[in-house]
Amino acid sequence: MNALVEIQNLRVTFGEGPDAVTAVQDVSLTVNPGETVCVVGESGSGKSVTSLSLMRLVEFGGGTIAGGRLMLQRADGPVDLAQVSPDKMRDIRGDEIGMIFQEPMTSLSPVFTIERQLTDGLKAHRNLSTSAARAKALELLKDVRIPEPERRLRQYPHELSGGMRQRVAIAIAMACEPRLLIADEPTTALDVTIQAEILALINRLKRERGMAVLFITHDMAVVAQIADRVVVMYRGNVVEQGPVAEIFADPQADYTRALLAAVPRLGEMRGKSAPEPLRAFGEVAEQTPQAPEQKIEPLLEVQRLTTYFPVRSGVFLRHVANIHAVEDVSFTLNKGQTLSLVGESGCGKSTCGRSILRLVEPTSGSVLLDRTDVLAAGPRDLRRMRRNMQMIFQDPFASLNPYMRLAAQVAEPLKNFGIATGSDVEDRVAGLFDRVGLPRDFMQRFPHELSGGQRQRIAIARALSVSPQLIVADEAVSALDVSVQAQVLNLMMELQADLGLSFLFISHDMAVVERVSHQVAVMYLGRIVEIGPRAAIFENPQHDYTKSLLRAVPIADPATPQLESELRFKPIPSPMHLRDHAPTPSVYETFEAGHLVLRN
Amino acid sequence: MRRFLSTKGVIGGGIVVTMLLIALLAPVFVAEEMATRMDIRARLSGPTWTHPFGTDQLGRDLFFRVVLGAQTSVMIAGAAVLMSIVIGLPLGIISGYYGGTLDNVLMRLVDTLLSFPALLLALTISAVLGPNITNTIIAIGVAFTPYLARIIRGEALRVAQMPYVEGARAAGTTDFWIILRHILPNIMPAIIVQGTISLAFAILAEAGLSFLGLGTQPPNASWGLMIQASRDYLDVAPWTALVPGVAVAITVLGLNMFGDTLRDVLDPRTRA
Amino acid sequence: MLFLVNRLLSVFLTLLLISIITFAVTNILPGDVAMMIMGTQSNPEALAGLRESLGLNDPLFVQYARWIGGLLTGDWGTSLVFKEPIGPLIADKVVASALIVVMSMAIALSAAIPLGVWAAIHRDRWQDNAASASALVGVSLPDFFWGIMLILLFASVLGWLPSSGFVHPAEDFFGALRHAFLPSLALGLGLMAHLTRMTRATMVSILQQDFIRVARAKGLPERSVIWGYGLRNAIGPVVTVAGLQVGYLFGSIIVIESLFNFTGMGWLTYQALLNRDIPLIQSTVFVIAAVVMLTNLIVDLIYMVIDPRLRAT
Repeated sequence: MNALVEIQNLRVTFGEGPDAVTAVQDVSLTVNPGETVCVVGESGSGKSVTSLSLMRLVEFGGGTIAGGRLMLQRADGPVDLAQVSPDKMRDIRGDEIGMIFQEPMTSLSPVFTIERQLTDGLKAHRNLSTSAARAKALELLKDVRIPEPERRLRQYPHELSGGMRQRVAIAIAMACEPRLLIADEPTTALDVTIQAEILALINRLKRERGMAVLFITHDMAVVAQIADRVVVMYRGNVVEQGPVAEIFADPQADYTRALLAAVPRLGEMRGKSAPEPLRAFGEVAEQTPQAPEQKIEPLLEVQRLTTYFPVRSGVFLRHVANIHAVEDVSFTLNKGQTLSLVGESGCGKSTCGRSILRLVEPTSGSVLLDRTDVLAAGPRDLRRMRRNMQMIFQDPFASLNPYMRLAAQVAEPLKNFGIATGSDVEDRVAGLFDRVGLPRDFMQRFPHELSGGQRQRIAIARALSVSPQLIVADEAVSALDVSVQAQVLNLMMELQADLGLSFLFISHDMAVVERVSHQVAVMYLGRIVEIGPRAAIFENPQHDYTKSLLRAVPIADPATPQLESELRFKPIPSPMHLRDHAPTPSVYETFEAGHLVLRN
Repeated sequence: MRRFLSTKGVIGGGIVVTMLLIALLAPVFVAEEMATRMDIRARLSGPTWTHPFGTDQLGRDLFFRVVLGAQTSVMIAGAAVLMSIVIGLPLGIISGYYGGTLDNVLMRLVDTLLSFPALLLALTISAVLGPNITNTIIAIGVAFTPYLARIIRGEALRVAQMPYVEGARAAGTTDFWIILRHILPNIMPAIIVQGTISLAFAILAEAGLSFLGLGTQPPNASWGLMIQASRDYLDVAPWTALVPGVAVAITVLGLNMFGDTLRDVLDPRTRA
Repeated sequence: MLFLVNRLLSVFLTLLLISIITFAVTNILPGDVAMMIMGTQSNPEALAGLRESLGLNDPLFVQYARWIGGLLTGDWGTSLVFKEPIGPLIADKVVASALIVVMSMAIALSAAIPLGVWAAIHRDRWQDNAASASALVGVSLPDFFWGIMLILLFASVLGWLPSSGFVHPAEDFFGALRHAFLPSLALGLGLMAHLTRMTRATMVSILQQDFIRVARAKGLPERSVIWGYGLRNAIGPVVTVAGLQVGYLFGSIIVIESLFNFTGMGWLTYQALLNRDIPLIQSTVFVIAAVVMLTNLIVDLIYMVIDPRLRAT
């Protein structure tokens, strides 16, 4: 079989002279007609640059193809894309190779209609008339299963949801029936149910058209579900490639092995009673000592918590409507345990966490922390209570003040509460750096000198400084590469075992949640739709939404394929209601002890 | 780019430092008398050895006048910008950090003030108060305040929404310390950049006010006044306009170059 | 519809605020209208009598109400310097200023947009450096300096264009354009430099957007990528900034119209300020601020046409 694409010894640099940075050192890979090749790696591995080089788009971003060949099989024999003229390359782009990108929100021009953006490529390559191009565009929209395609043609991107925009982007890439589709992290910015739909769509188009797919991703679970062959990249080089089953069953390179070990797989916690640490990159797998059996005692009791955000409009900013971010939420978090709030973007899980700490003011409800009412506390009492509850945020790049030394940031809570003074502060801060596994010479550094994982350790140290009982971790590992994510999760579990901490763990990642939780609450449209012990939620889900969420999560195991049938999930309605809207209270049925399901 | 940037930064910084030195040292080396002495035999003389920049219609030496003019310009512009920052900073921070009704009212007022062209506002205030150096400072300072307040408010709002500010609040930090430790250091780069650019605008405004006779008054030396005086002699002595005009241009250019460089260095978001 | 009502209400509120600010600023004056009319050496009794008859002894808010009532009913008072009713005086001068403001904006935009796009396409190369450096020099020169240089070059040395005076377009259209050209150019050059910098910066950031990459991935020619996808998305911010510069222009016309003896609003305002003609100051300042505010409103409405994301609301 003749390879469709053969990349040989590709080398890509950015910048010139002594400042030049090599983004891709030496990459060789092939894509055969009709197969899906996944290029997988963590940030900085050069996987995106490789795909942009194949399109020769890397040149527009300041990059240079410094060496190697990019052979493409065409009707009249192979050509080296690295050598063809810009005009010739323009003919190939969009015609023989189509490409889709990560961000559906920004990859369509906001000022043009969908029709114009679908047809201008067709007109450029195929010289179609306007009406012929429109007919073709309509056909494409039907093919990517967009409802009401005629109306969509006249609409602008902002009138479409993220998932629908990504379908339009795929339609654009498919317009001229390319033989190769390059997909650069096409589902990373999407919710898990939308991701499942888009992956199924790409798979169907590939099958129906015999098109090859070069799929760039960081997510091993997606790789397991979609790849025929896998190319693993690390720091600008290919470390391993082979058929997907072999890579997962018998990885050869140390890096691949470590990467796979760090990935939590949905379902692998079946039959286990307590959370377990992951085998992180570079760490010896060891069993952390189990937390001494604690008496089950409640720490945080949340009753009927409700948070609305007012929507104002007009000259006098009249309060016209409310966004019902958190609607009648109740749960109990026990001492020394982790309760996870899980759901898709906009479900209210973050607002719920921030309402408990009163970083946003809840509308009603009650929050008891160690039997003290948080919501009734005055400003002075609230400040005192915050000693007992701390928070870790998602974005490690934004959660530290760039102009403050790390030691000062970790020491800030200590000083605020007058816990330590003088040299005692320094000793305690040094102790905290030890505790989270950071060298003490980091103390006088600034945040920009640290990596994402190290910053998240600082955030943990800062939260620990006042010895709280509760830590709210809001998507605390979502922005991290998978190997770093595993290390930070392990640190959190270790701290829980040692210090008896309770975590309110807010996440969208079902596999991570399964790994770390004692209790799980699934949120949808501001409400908890199902809550219970981890095993009950994952092994015996009752609510329709929980079931569809679990069905959508890709499993990092090629032996468990999920994409056979094309999935279609219900879109989430708007949480905005007029002021006089009176929501119904959340009523639950007890499925079994401690496992509650929202009655619809 | 980096090469051009650094060239730009070096030239800009060089001009700014030179102008500051001239403005500060002018009174030491140039006696008032040297700039007001009238050389009757050399009225409207072109550049010569005795008068390197030529003389004006009264035979006064343009070199000394332009040097003393630098002092006036820099002093008025500096004081005016300082004044607008001193007023605009607390307004902007309070508005941006606390938000709510206060923010709505303040920003409505600021937006309305922005409907008045800055030069018109400054001219009106100066005309109403009576033109002199102090009132020129007040006029330009008041006219620039809404711009500064708007920009500072925007920055304060941006920083107030950063997770590290929320984190500090969660860690029990009081508003006072949040503003001092977290908001202020993080909006400082924007204030420095905006201050530099405002300084350039203030120099232009002072020249404009004086040119119209509603700023610095004779016999004080001012670049705007010198250009005003040159209007009747343009045909015979164009250098009387060129000398102060070029002085304004170089100073403002230096400040703009310096401001651009600062923006590139301090603010990665606008680094194009 | 509701949007329009809200918008009009907001305009009304802003106009009210503008009038209050104008009135407040002109009333911090140490002297008053009576003193202006009769001179500082006048008989105190006569002065007091005039004050009484002009209503200057009334509380400030009564005086304000009287002024605003006059504005609304078309009685704008009489100028102390020109001894003429203010309403017709201003109506006459607004035409002249509108002419040079529109001309200078046209000059500035027609040069700044191509130049800014060109610089952005050649970012960091010599074309960009040359364009950016000239634009930087352009924004650094005071516009009255431009004016003087233009007078020197076109009027004194070359003798091609008149350097002074205003001709009404209704009387002699080409004469009007000839007389308005140099002041418009003097206003337009600095503006052009500013808008070039702005266009460049906007285009540079637009060209880094994902949809530009998508357009290239479709295989579109560079021409449609830059001018279609690029400029079409950049034009909104550029128009907004251009609109905001109208405020700056209405400040600059005071200097430029005086320099060119061009009898428009700027010239009139200047005469009023120089002579402390308080009724005239109040009216001109109010009119200029109102025009600037309304221009910004129009620009907002244009932006809604340009950007479909704002049309729905």
